[in-house]
Amino acid sequence: IKLISDAGFQGEITSISTAAQQLEVFSRVLKTSISSFLTNPEDWQKTTKECAKMVCHGQHTYVYAQVIIHVLARENKGGSSMKRLSQEITKCAQKNRNDVTPITMALNGAAAYPQACQALTAMLSKNTLNPADISVLFRNYSGNDPPPIDLVRTPQFLELLVDSLFKPAVKLNPDHKPKYIYLLAYAASVCEVPAKKGQKRTWNKDELKSTIQAIETVHNICNINKGSSELIADLKTLYQSLRFSVVAVGVVRWVEYTVTDSSYFKLQTEHCPVHLALLDEVVSCHTLLHTQVLDLLIRLFESKQDELEILVQLEMRKMVLDRMVNLLCSGCVVPVVKYIKTCWQKGDTDISLIRYFVTEVLEAIGPPYSPEFVNLFMPMVENDEITGTMRGDGENDPVSEFIVYCKANYTTV
Amino acid sequence: MANMRDSDTSLWLHNKLGTSNDSWTGGSICSQLNAEVLRNIKDCFPDLQTQVKLKLLLSFFHIPRRNIDEWRCELEQIVDVAVSDSDLWVSMLAEALKTFPATGSLNTEIADLDEVRPIFTNLVNDLRHLVKKQSEQVMLPMECHYLNKAALVSVVGQQPSSTKHFTLKKSPKSAILRSDLLQKASDAASNLKKS
Repeated sequence: IKLISDAGFQGEITSISTAAQQLEVFSRVLKTSISSFLTNPEDWQKTTKECAKMVCHGQHTYVYAQVIIHVLARENKGGSSMKRLSQEITKCAQKNRNDVTPITMALNGAAAYPQACQALTAMLSKNTLNPADISVLFRNYSGNDPPPIDLVRTPQFLELLVDSLFKPAVKLNPDHKPKYIYLLAYAASVCEVPAKKGQKRTWNKDELKSTIQAIETVHNICNINKGSSELIADLKTLYQSLRFSVVAVGVVRWVEYTVTDSSYFKLQTEHCPVHLALLDEVVSCHTLLHTQVLDLLIRLFESKQDELEILVQLEMRKMVLDRMVNLLCSGCVVPVVKYIKTCWQKGDTDISLIRYFVTEVLEAIGPPYSPEFVNLFMPMVENDEITGTMRGDGENDPVSEFIVYCKANYTTV
Repeated sequence: MANMRDSDTSLWLHNKLGTSNDSWTGGSICSQLNAEVLRNIKDCFPDLQTQVKLKLLLSFFHIPRRNIDEWRCELEQIVDVAVSDSDLWVSMLAEALKTFPATGSLNTEIADLDEVRPIFTNLVNDLRHLVKKQSEQVMLPMECHYLNKAALVSVVGQQPSSTKHFTLKKSPKSAILRSDLLQKASDAASNLKKS
């Protein structure tokens, strides 16, 4: 194996267990994998998954790779991609039911703050929050010399906080609830300026109070199981609070729990339930949450709704497509078009739905188009099965207009 | 346990740690460790199987902090022996764990070992080159999704604006829905006031 590796054929070493036997060989395979992650940003989900699978092969490979990635994540330029890679790998290890919390804590500097470190380790290892440890963290972070903000920004911890505040019908002890809210708001809003020579760390907490208020207000709305129509009265408040990313994350989680309930659509009378309309608002305000919302919409689009009549099912899926069109109009273009294209190519989606999507998009957008978009979208617009019935005699319909414009302006088509 | 001879200690370790090829360890061994056992382990360490050596070192992560403080010397001595192990995996892992008993943090400055250093340094340097070339931040750390604008900028700087794929000529249906819903909301609010 070492000879194959020495000769430069890393790609040929397909078995991770073979590669992991020797540090030198593993290092080369790891290099190939991380390089592929860095040089193919458009495929990051695939390259991350492959890299994580390899790194999680053993605990020794995990520690080694995380140390390497940790060193690289310190780079000012590009370091944040490495931090994300590290987090994805951690998530993969946890999915395999390995407790990697002590390793994470040995790399994130928590050890210098024993109380916070112990409280966080206890909760992350068990993947559940508890009032005693939350109280310890609350005391630490409301004091004069709080631990580094990065500790409460550990993604798993943030997820647990959001879950306990926004999952429907979770009941938190009212005495402790403000501490959960405080910690989440602190992580979301405080700017920490690291210590410089001769100067201590400083904090900007200007937005802490308003963030606490927004979380509290929306938590109170979400925690009571309200129906669509009852929610209407709270809509303005919800829209206002959704400007805070952390509230938006919480609302997406809450909507996810609510609308993926198997009986949800059976009980809806509105064409578009308020829960899904809230996703539109999240999408307009927060570019960073586009992927998360798209994932949820895909789940809904593909969900079985056997208890609904066929026509009602189609209407429901069209309503989900409306949300996807909104996502596309808000800037999440390539992932949405790619998804619909795969639906069409796989042939398992009712063609009228693809037609609906194409029609809605063509109605909303106009030139100039990016070559990437034209390349992706054109095959669906040109397809007779999809758009045949939409074309008129002349060139005045949106389909013909799009085709004519693109043929005249783009050579790649 | 405290009076075990070397051979007994290594047999015990083998039975505990050497029976599966999976290097993930849950730390079940930790409850049976004490200063005396650790001293025995140090003595028999060089003769253990590689797999057992790795798992033993990895089990350190699962030792409660108060025990680590108590056994700091013994743990450091094992790490010292392991650093000069002939297997590179063992010496690399030991090098990373060198600071762990004293500080609770891993050593990320792998600079002391002649054999391991070039592998580590070359890998880091080659990759650093690629990391620096990252022109735009395609992937942000997961916590960024939660951050207020100002906090986000303080962490990752201003984000580049995304590619424009088309011009919006008409707002999508969702915009009409939004204004309808807001109308209903103010109707509902005024109804509430009246009642």
